[in-house]
Amino acid sequence: MYRQRGEDVFVIDAHVHHWDASEENVKNDGGEQFIRCFYDYHTGFTPEDRQWTLDEYRKYSAERMVEDLFGNGAVDMAIFQPTHLHEFYEEGFNTVDDNAELVEQYPERFIVNGRFDPRDGEAGKRELERQKEEYDVDGVKLYTAEWKGDSKGWRLDDEETFEFLEKCSELGIENVHPHKGPTIRPLNRDAFDVADVDDAATSFPELNFVVEHVGLPRLDDFCWIGAQEPNVYGGLAVAAPMVQNRPRKFGEIMGELLYWLGEDRLLFGSDYALWNPDWLVELVMEAELTPEQRDEYGVELTTDVLKKVMGENAARLYDIDIEEKKKQFESDAISEQFGLGDDYAADAAAD
Amino acid sequence: MSGERLPSESAPSAVTPRRAAVLNALDGVTDPELDRSIVELDYITEIDLGDGDSDAADSGRCGRSVTVNLSLPTAWCSPAFAWLMMVDARAAVESLPGVARARVVLEDHVHETELTEGVNEGQPFAEAFDDADGDLDAVRRELDGKARIVRQHRALDALLDAGATPAQLVTLSTADVTFDPDGPGSQRAVVSVADGAIRLCIPRDSLVDYVEKAESVGVDFESGPVFRTPEGEPISVDEFELVRRRGRLASVNMRGQGGVCAQLHESRQRQRAREAESAD
Repeated sequence: MYRQRGEDVFVIDAHVHHWDASEENVKNDGGEQFIRCFYDYHTGFTPEDRQWTLDEYRKYSAERMVEDLFGNGAVDMAIFQPTHLHEFYEEGFNTVDDNAELVEQYPERFIVNGRFDPRDGEAGKRELERQKEEYDVDGVKLYTAEWKGDSKGWRLDDEETFEFLEKCSELGIENVHPHKGPTIRPLNRDAFDVADVDDAATSFPELNFVVEHVGLPRLDDFCWIGAQEPNVYGGLAVAAPMVQNRPRKFGEIMGELLYWLGEDRLLFGSDYALWNPDWLVELVMEAELTPEQRDEYGVELTTDVLKKVMGENAARLYDIDIEEKKKQFESDAISEQFGLGDDYAADAAAD
Repeated sequence: MSGERLPSESAPSAVTPRRAAVLNALDGVTDPELDRSIVELDYITEIDLGDGDSDAADSGRCGRSVTVNLSLPTAWCSPAFAWLMMVDARAAVESLPGVARARVVLEDHVHETELTEGVNEGQPFAEAFDDADGDLDAVRRELDGKARIVRQHRALDALLDAGATPAQLVTLSTADVTFDPDGPGSQRAVVSVADGAIRLCIPRDSLVDYVEKAESVGVDFESGPVFRTPEGEPISVDEFELVRRRGRLASVNMRGQGGVCAQLHESRQRQRAREAESAD
């Protein structure tokens, strides 16, 4: 568990992947360029001495993932956001079922989200039911830019999508995580559009819409929508690593997000293995706004604000009782493996 | 903002367009998402000035065939954005005297073939991408609209810094602005407020750049004030602060995205350098 100024900060990494982009699994140029683009993001925003090689990055073991996330106590829990991409990868890139294997091994530490694709029709709805039944998913990751046959993507405000959102609502899958990040849909229609989130959020007030990557490069559209829709949240994956070599920009982005959405609607995510939380969490926790930014935005990155962003907000959306978890983590398999039990116990003693 | 621009007077003689002139023409082409010059962003990897008169026959013009190679920050940069930059680059270079034909080649992009062929053969975007289902002009309008908001924010900040009040700014018309093109003050714009009682000086570029972009998106200065809401309406004093904050937000977004692109671009350049090294 992270500690700052004597305070415990329970960190829920709300955006992690266990992917396979090994050469055997890459189906075509699309898949190859996709992982290389990820790798550019990785090397662009990772301190040099912490960078992986491209080969390490293509496919990593479950053991490595567990160690990178939990080994030094940077992260307490992590939420899988699947990305299937069957058009690019023989066995898929980062699938619900693959992710679920790690949840089965460490049920107290990992949460797996489901996914749907409205283009799958009735079969897709049955698949969503299966994900709920087998893995009790509370959220879905939606990749609107995913290719499928002739289609190069879909929208949250499509009629078919609304049927799936209705299904989520019926099944009690409350958290919807659309990827609205850097343009990956290679066509024009969705290139910078978050308007579909607005419509969906208004139509399904009972669901929470966690817009991943805070809409970058459409932060302005995203914040404007977030200011009007109380069930819209921002996932910080991709924005967070800017703290490493663009700290001033990171400060501005946090300033805007806190100004328009407030401290209760932001969720930390490392996007592992795009970036490792073991260095990222510390940099975000240590980040400060400049005096000009504090004046301009009228907000501060206090420990209380950061505690919400780093874990409490995700805990609220995913019904995680942090105090219960701490007790559980005094002696769970991860704490035993990495000798972390005392961190959680020490806190219990201080209560 | 870009650094020192090459003066347009250095345009080429009719027969020998120099590299500097081509670069100067390309400097006026912007990445529509970042509203910055593609030269400044270091997207140009190669300029081939070609042989004189080689394409005279098929273009009907005398002169060189110039080839410009472009590389964007990732293989996944929006093809719509790439397309806009490529057609603008082609038109800019072809507008130079002494150039019969310009060809723009996109490198290291997931759709480099369709884009390069489509742009150079003068196809419409929707033809090069058979499942493109949007309107490319709408994409350009939307991005230009955002660029206007960001440029307006810069101009408003300069005027607020110079002492203008929101009430003065929301009613400002183009008649209140003098650009003083000749004198030693040519880097400044002079803005009269309070019925001409107060004159404010601000950096010329911040207003010129704004006015240029505002005109390109159809803001009508004849019939209304200089500054507008993001939707293009006149601003009431009450909503001035909200409009300013929305402008700030758009600027932060553009700078943030610029930072991401720059980082990806650098990382890609390093990778290329390593590959070139190991190939030697």
